Amino acid sequence: MLDLNRAVALALLGFSSGYGYLAYFYHLLPFEKFLSVRPNTMPIGLAIAGIICSLVILIQPQVPEVEGDGTVNRPDAEYLQNPQNYNWGQGIGLLLLAVVYTLSLRGAGFLFSTSAFLVLGGILLGERRYTFLIPISITASVLVWYLVDQVLTVYLRPWPGWVYY
Amino acid sequence: MLDGMLLGLETAFTFQNLFFAALGCFIGTIIGMLPGLGPMSVVAIMIPVSLQIGDPSTTLILLAGVYYGAIFGGSTSSILINAPGEAAVVATAFDGYPMARKGQAGKALTIAAISSFSGGTIGVVLLMLFAPALANFAILFWSAEYFALMLLGLSAVSAFAGKGKVLKAVMMTLLGLMLATVGESSLFHAPRFTLGIMDLQSGINFVTLAMGLFAVPEAFFLAIDKIRSKKSSSKESQEISNLRINLKEAKAIAPVIVRQSIQGFLIGVMPGTGATIASFLGYAVERNLASPEEREEFGKGSIKGLAAPETANNAASTGSFVPLLTLGIPGSGTTAVLLGAFIALNLQPGPQLLQERPEVFWSVIMSMYFGNIVLLVLNLPLVPYIARLLAIPRSYLIPFVLFFAMAGAYIGQNNSTELLLLLGFGVLAIILRFADYPLPPLLIGFVLGQMFEDNLGRAMRNANGIEFIWERPMTLTLILTAAVFILVPILRDWLANKRK
Repeated sequence: MLDLNRAVALALLGFSSGYGYLAYFYHLLPFEKFLSVRPNTMPIGLAIAGIICSLVILIQPQVPEVEGDGTVNRPDAEYLQNPQNYNWGQGIGLLLLAVVYTLSLRGAGFLFSTSAFLVLGGILLGERRYTFLIPISITASVLVWYLVDQVLTVYLRPWPGWVYY
Repeated sequence: MLDGMLLGLETAFTFQNLFFAALGCFIGTIIGMLPGLGPMSVVAIMIPVSLQIGDPSTTLILLAGVYYGAIFGGSTSSILINAPGEAAVVATAFDGYPMARKGQAGKALTIAAISSFSGGTIGVVLLMLFAPALANFAILFWSAEYFALMLLGLSAVSAFAGKGKVLKAVMMTLLGLMLATVGESSLFHAPRFTLGIMDLQSGINFVTLAMGLFAVPEAFFLAIDKIRSKKSSSKESQEISNLRINLKEAKAIAPVIVRQSIQGFLIGVMPGTGATIASFLGYAVERNLASPEEREEFGKGSIKGLAAPETANNAASTGSFVPLLTLGIPGSGTTAVLLGAFIALNLQPGPQLLQERPEVFWSVIMSMYFGNIVLLVLNLPLVPYIARLLAIPRSYLIPFVLFFAMAGAYIGQNNSTELLLLLGFGVLAIILRFADYPLPPLLIGFVLGQMFEDNLGRAMRNANGIEFIWERPMTLTLILTAAVFILVPILRDWLANKRK
């Protein structure tokens, strides 16, 4: 049966094969063809090793999740065995919020997008004391920006891209 | 040498210099906690400020304090939120973070501080005694030996493979090595495997991968698992901030500290290897030396597993000063930045420094010693307060963990592609964790990948083939040691299965 363990091995087999294809057909410059080490020498070796390794993982017998003596071999397997015990919505929502934060950084600027991310992240995880959450989030954003941009002089765009700074 | 030490003491032991050592440690610790700002970046950022002081000894004392502080700061974020912002502290998270999750954050930070102090201090003593002799030994290392040393570092992955997982660990190492080939390398200047994406031309950023692999899954699992991230009771809060290490624990870590101080220092002396390999190898060696019961604890909150990389990376950081001070060759990224500071101060590190400016040479060494002491004195009282960060309610802690991880990749780059990559690696890491693939080998493969390929390429070009493997005794010895590292756990598993 194709469980997650084998599905990942299959995906890694596909990745190694794709990587090997790109490495094998890598466009060598004329002089590189005569070198003892070419830009695709190690990648081809890695791809072959990756294909062999993932194939062996795919066909070898699986280690039991829990041994007879109670030793747990797969500590994170519990999440998938009893998914109803976990709050998947919050986890996935947080990751989606992080994607939105990433995409908004350039357009909305560091200060606004970071404050919004921290406030919305807190609300998503159940915080309802807005009088704490909002000031803390804004203060943290401003402090990090001030430390990085003003003290350490590492440029961090504070405002939206269209605002001159 | 005694005269030199006294001269160094006289120069370094003034109120002004002690003040700047303490200030440097404090600034380094605070900034070093931010993922993405490792010791090299922090020291580089502080150089323009420190040059304003004028006095070369005081400037170097301040920078040494910043350096040690930043190393400890990096360990703190590794232990508390599983966010190793620098390659040298990745191994610290393997057992430091599980300890923190078990409510022993205070103890973990204390062990980290004591191990760092001991590794740094023993390293300074070794530096004083053996620097010139070791510098001559270090330059005997050619690319063939470096390649073999990288192989030895990669063999450390066997330490992260649980029962029946050696192949998975090898597969993850290969994946890390493949990711390391993305972009331009110093050996081949044309970009590879970028799929036409401009932002990948310079390769994948270490912080992006490290945060994606460790911090993002941690934030995700904390968010879905309310029990795991429940607010600590007052008793648990007290335990979190408890610093006490009992006699049994002290006895357990003492030999680890001595062994890893020496091993880490020797690895640090080789230019270009540094603290990262020292910490991975330190972890692997101690795991192999541990008893079967102790070995089971590695990766689940072992105090030996925490003390080993922390000692080794600090000793190696000190060791990297050997080629800098005696030959003028920077042994690591941070010492390369410090070389810039020396030049800005009109000092030329190298064989002449000890003859021409003995007060500077010895005050740098003494300041490293002071930096270690000040760091311990300054940070131990702060540990209970730092550890209490974990008692923050989850609705605040989780978004902040994710924010700091993302800020680490964004700062200095101002590039949203880095963050999308980070989140992509995060999702990949979550899936790999569900399927029980160990993640540390992936990062080890990535960190060592570039150096591995560069040195293998140079060695093969020099020898016009692979004859260097058996023609150079040191290379062969290191490769055979790496083979032993890989084969011993496999044989041990096999024998255990046979006995059953």
